[in-house]
Amino acid sequence: MADTPVVQMLGISKIYPNGIPANQDVNFSVNKGEIHALVGENGAGKSTLMKILFGFEKPTSGIILMDGEEVTFASPMAAIAKGIGMVHQHFMLVPSLTVAENVVLGMAPKKSGMFIDFKEAVRLTEEYAERFHFDVEPNARVADISVGMKQKVEILKALVRGAKVLILDEPTAVLTTQETEELFRQLHELKNQGFTIIFISHKLNEIKELTDRVTIMRRGKAAGTYDTDSISEQEISRLMVGRDVVLELEKTPAEPGEVVLHVENLQFVNEWNKRMLNGISFDVRKGEIVGIAGVEGNGQRELVDILFGLISPEEGSVHVNGVNISDKSQRDLRNMGVSYVPEDRMTFGIAGTASINENIVSDRIASPAFNKGPLLNMKAIRETSQHLIEDYAVLCKSGRQHVNMLSGGNIQKVVVAREFSADPLLIIADQPTRGIDVGATELIRNKLVDLSREGAAVLLVSADLNEVMELSDSLIVLYGGNIVGYFDDGQWDDVMMGEYMLGLKKQSDEEVKRACHA
Amino acid sequence: MLDRRMTQFNILRGAVAIFFALLVAAIFIFLTSESPWESLRYLLIGPLVTVKEGAIAFNMRNMLEVLAGMTPTIFTGLAVCVMFSANQFNLAGEGCVYVGAFVGGLIGVYWNLPPFIHPLVATLVAGLVCSVIMLIPALAKVKLGASEMVTSLMLNFVMLYVSMHFLNFYFADRSRGATMTHSFHDTARVVQIVPGTSKLSWGFIAALIFSVIIWFFMYRTRWGYSIRMIGINESFALYSGMNVAGMIVVSQMIGGMLSGMGGSFEILGRYNQFLWLNLPGYGWTGVTIAILAKNNPAAVPLAAFFLAYLNKGCMLMSTKTHVASEMIDIIQAAIFLFFAAEQFLSGYRQKLVVKTAREELLKQGNAGIENGGAENA
Repeated sequence: MADTPVVQMLGISKIYPNGIPANQDVNFSVNKGEIHALVGENGAGKSTLMKILFGFEKPTSGIILMDGEEVTFASPMAAIAKGIGMVHQHFMLVPSLTVAENVVLGMAPKKSGMFIDFKEAVRLTEEYAERFHFDVEPNARVADISVGMKQKVEILKALVRGAKVLILDEPTAVLTTQETEELFRQLHELKNQGFTIIFISHKLNEIKELTDRVTIMRRGKAAGTYDTDSISEQEISRLMVGRDVVLELEKTPAEPGEVVLHVENLQFVNEWNKRMLNGISFDVRKGEIVGIAGVEGNGQRELVDILFGLISPEEGSVHVNGVNISDKSQRDLRNMGVSYVPEDRMTFGIAGTASINENIVSDRIASPAFNKGPLLNMKAIRETSQHLIEDYAVLCKSGRQHVNMLSGGNIQKVVVAREFSADPLLIIADQPTRGIDVGATELIRNKLVDLSREGAAVLLVSADLNEVMELSDSLIVLYGGNIVGYFDDGQWDDVMMGEYMLGLKKQSDEEVKRACHA
Repeated sequence: MLDRRMTQFNILRGAVAIFFALLVAAIFIFLTSESPWESLRYLLIGPLVTVKEGAIAFNMRNMLEVLAGMTPTIFTGLAVCVMFSANQFNLAGEGCVYVGAFVGGLIGVYWNLPPFIHPLVATLVAGLVCSVIMLIPALAKVKLGASEMVTSLMLNFVMLYVSMHFLNFYFADRSRGATMTHSFHDTARVVQIVPGTSKLSWGFIAALIFSVIIWFFMYRTRWGYSIRMIGINESFALYSGMNVAGMIVVSQMIGGMLSGMGGSFEILGRYNQFLWLNLPGYGWTGVTIAILAKNNPAAVPLAAFFLAYLNKGCMLMSTKTHVASEMIDIIQAAIFLFFAAEQFLSGYRQKLVVKTAREELLKQGNAGIENGGAENA
């Protein structure tokens, strides 16, 4: 039964209404009864491809074959009818209903043609749970069950609807280690019963552990399909990123000055009651780059959000230049000299349908340099923008072009140009080079080093290990919401980092305390 | 390249929307009129020319009436532009026109001021009162998260009936057969540009001036800039350090002020006393105008002219050829439908986008080969 493709996607292209090509001529084929990994960086097009398969999006061109027959999915309903099920990263469950009610939602068994047969719903849920060895309680309210349990409910939902092909979108992102192990056991069980699973992830160790084959996507194109056994994690990562050149960069030794950012005992529990930060303390000084390494989802997101005032910590404090920022707005923070390169540049970094000129001065529009009485000094804005466009080599027709018409790398250059030119005291750079081309990456990294050597304090958060290792003067490793390692001697390599990032190694409290210089 | 294609596309889409709306109107005219061709003629060119015994002459009076009809709707159109630009779907412009006219009218009746100053003061006060009223939906939105669309819509009727209450019990001229205030002082009248019966007052010029002022405000001041950025991407505005809540409130206060001023200019320019017993509808027209103008204040007078012209055309058609005057509502609704429908002609738009993206990919692809970018098979 191996090697018979159950799903084939041929020549799939998708161009979104904003002109961004998410998929370009992608071929993707999944065999019956296999666990097939789909990997790629954020923005590589894997989600788009799966949305097309699940009928959420229509492809601009290309065809889908199921069991050799061409199909078109006008909606997810059509895809479900053909036996495709999708478990989204963000669960699509009704919290106030029970597990059984959620499982049968939209296809509830009826009594005398009118009323929902709740008993039958519970029975159905129990039957499926038993068949696949899913340990769920049909009568529990979804609001009361754990994240791992919710995921099982999602999978059950798909199975009850007759799914033969299951798409799991980064299913482990929200799970604890034990829950992940349990999920993997269940996926193996499903595979043994003949189900086909498409597993979207960018955690390479999980892919190696779980999957039979892997398709790698890079910048909207398929960069190849391999038997998982025959390809190393390094090779996958190289194909994913499309560069194994480690960019060499000129860096003089740091001469750290006084403490600019002081983080003390930060605690944070997220909305699913998962402890994301567990007493984090560290300092960032003038003139140095402190890197935060770690597998995504180990508290980086929450840390950065707290630092820029987007969420409040349960406990602990953040001081910038000695001032507690707990009641400061983003505007206050900017006035205090904090610059922020956001991870999600499309949501926070830009106003898409505004011009480059308008985007590049958004943080300083009220400054006297850009205002003449009540009116804006358009000439000054244009000149500043033109200067920054040249300085940061933003590829565009003119400053009046809409920002969302630029490529990802150039959009990021616009964001970075603004943030770095604000004369910052502290720069928080969150994944500053994710998903952008080599040229832009090199430029941004060099600028970051220059700024720190000119006296800015830089906190660099990046999932790109090469990047943090190269740029940082000292390194903090986050694992499970804790600082498990602090390194300030420049003596690190990826093997050692990997051990800390995966929680295999941990420094003593004394060693970690060195992260606070005060 | 895509930018230019999109501009062309938007113009084309506007033209096609109007064409289809008129087509819909034509269908109804042919269904209901006894002399459909004549009706259609009145609708399309009636406001512009008179045809007498085969000779075509420019009709000054009708045109002046068209222009006069634009005064309040330019103001409400501008108001909606400002509010919609901030992504605030505040629909209380309608009630504000009414309150503005009422307040302006009362000042016209009870205050004694020199000519010229009098209507200006009345209009400014009317604008201020309405901007304060707009604090209700604005603060409810910012502080409590209440949808401004719902609260403002309800607020229209609160404004109408509270004003009517005061009109009935405190300010009505008991010597009249109908409910209305006493007559305005002569000093309170907004002077006519062309003396006669057209009722085209200097309020029209004020409306044009305000179109320019609001354009400058939106595109050449930091506040207008913030309002637009908030409308495009609120998260971005917050992240950039803009005072998002404050500007949301300000945008709605400006909307209230403009609507109120429109009401005051209308009542002091075209009436002798305040006698509206129902919402006048200018606020709703303002929404249509803002949509036609794509929230650009500079395009508001043009959009207002288009609707005023259609309005006049329909009136002529209904009086001269017995077509129901409700036709204007059908045409407006059709235009509204075609313009508001994002998906209208979206297939063609997507084709343009795809074509442009492909061309650019091709360029990039060639560049990639030059850079030695080998692709894996």
